[in-house]
Amino acid sequence: MSPIRKFEKPLGMRDTFPKIFAKKEVIRQTGMEFLRLRGFDFIQTPTLEYYDTVGKASAIVDSSLFKLVDSQGNTLVLRPDMTTPIARVATSKLLKEKIPLRLAYFANVFRAQQLEGGRPAEFEQMGIEIIGDSSVYADAEAILTAIRLLKTLGIEDFKITIGNAGILEAIIKKNVQDQQQFEELHNLLVQKNIVGFEEAVISYNLAIEKEQTLLSFVEDATEMKSIREIAKYLYEKDAFIYMEQLASILEIADATSYIAFDFTLASHMNYYTGMLFEVFATGSGFPIGNGGRYDGLLDEFGIEVGAIGFGFRIDHLLEVIPQQSETNDEVLVLFVAPQLAEALETAEKLRAQGKRTTLQSMEGLDNLAAFEKHFAEIVRIGQGGNVHE
Amino acid sequence: MNELTIAMPKGRIFEEAYEMLIEAGFELPENVEMSRKLMIEIPQEKIRFILAKPMDVPTYVEHGVADIGIAGKDVLLEQRREVHELLDLNISKCHIASAGLPNTTLNEIAPRIATKYPTVASDYYREKGEQVEIIGLNGSIELAPMIGLADRIVDIVSTGQTLKENGLVEYEFITDVSSRLIANPASYRMKSERILDLVKRLKKCVK
Repeated sequence: MSPIRKFEKPLGMRDTFPKIFAKKEVIRQTGMEFLRLRGFDFIQTPTLEYYDTVGKASAIVDSSLFKLVDSQGNTLVLRPDMTTPIARVATSKLLKEKIPLRLAYFANVFRAQQLEGGRPAEFEQMGIEIIGDSSVYADAEAILTAIRLLKTLGIEDFKITIGNAGILEAIIKKNVQDQQQFEELHNLLVQKNIVGFEEAVISYNLAIEKEQTLLSFVEDATEMKSIREIAKYLYEKDAFIYMEQLASILEIADATSYIAFDFTLASHMNYYTGMLFEVFATGSGFPIGNGGRYDGLLDEFGIEVGAIGFGFRIDHLLEVIPQQSETNDEVLVLFVAPQLAEALETAEKLRAQGKRTTLQSMEGLDNLAAFEKHFAEIVRIGQGGNVHE
Repeated sequence: MNELTIAMPKGRIFEEAYEMLIEAGFELPENVEMSRKLMIEIPQEKIRFILAKPMDVPTYVEHGVADIGIAGKDVLLEQRREVHELLDLNISKCHIASAGLPNTTLNEIAPRIATKYPTVASDYYREKGEQVEIIGLNGSIELAPMIGLADRIVDIVSTGQTLKENGLVEYEFITDVSSRLIANPASYRMKSERILDLVKRLKKCVK
């Protein structure tokens, strides 16, 4: 390996320069204000967690975790997601105070380095968790919150694809011979490898009607006009009735134009038990967010309550958020030593008017002309009175 | 109607796939000048082709700069990109196999495999429970066993003519290969109507 140069940072790590920082702040502040108004409380959890608790319960694969060892010899992880730490805090403390909980976060998470660009090892997420509510209205609230949040951020061209992990599992399991076949087919759907799915189904030599059921299910599910078309694949209708309810709530809330149902939607996040969804927007080739119901995760922390949540990736939101036209209205106040008092007063006055004002002594500048270029307005406090430009 | 960007592999597969699109009813010019061009606009269909090296097609699609693409299964197995595999076009068929000089066995201490497909080769031998050393090459793989760089090569075989001409024989069949229609996950959702329509029309032309 070639020696590390002075400017380099570890693989997958990114600097946030002032302009991007400002954009992220807009997303953070807009999101925070919006979520607080909807009754969500923001919380923070530590960057480091135990591998045995959060590390193992998290749905992120082991090889993607950053691990280190503390002074007592315990293995620690840099948190790979926020849902698991929040489940830990909620089950151990917060649920005893209020139920259901509506929590929100804006935090950085870590995934192990990958060699290729475009896959940061540290990125920020903003999201919510509704814990202690198993009703379909919590599912609807999560989806509606996601839709409203995107619209508040000025994003209009997006799509939320909704599936159901339970329904998918029931349909596949009903038609295959064993767990191994189920897992194989499920994995193929996670990658949406339709060709592979069809090949695998045929290679199992299933009873002809079971084979046909699986093949036509995948075809129907991708081109459904109404979710009713899927009912015929189900023997146990509870989950289906649940999804129908969800669809009608979303219709009442006037959200139909942003959503699409796809019952082949599968996630590698193995703690999703029921409804799950992915969010895409024009401008990014990657999902900008995802979410779902994860009752199973709370079980791992010892409390059986329903929970649902979603997270948006800030780096992908930045790609799809409409460009704000940049207006430079910064003011520079230049002074020489004897005029310090007057300069301080002038700068304060300008700041009180809400103008972003930089106070700079002439003595501290080597190249005045180059520095002045960064400002829209320049005030020189000189002996002959103030000069505005 | 949204603009659709299609990443196509340069060369032989391009022509076969292009003919399939014409057969599927897309209004495309009969002859395309593709000697040096990297992009072809088809305004009447709102389609833009980008011409890439076959190995790079999944990369363009994964990053979303192309909405869909046509890629060989060999490339998909090797690259393991996050793209949706929607349709087997059943064109450009061949297979991946191991080959070597006739009547030879693998070196017992450190068997060496030369290949353009290190991931596929490594997966195959691991699955078989054989520990081998992989040597990555970019072309003329057949040279490796001839001059003693490796015991076996792992490469695509279509007619077997190249192997024969270089005095090599096929040992193990690894997997079948054909061209697939792949899609970017975001495009698949955001431009679902166009993509599903294209899949449906192409499906009818698959032989």
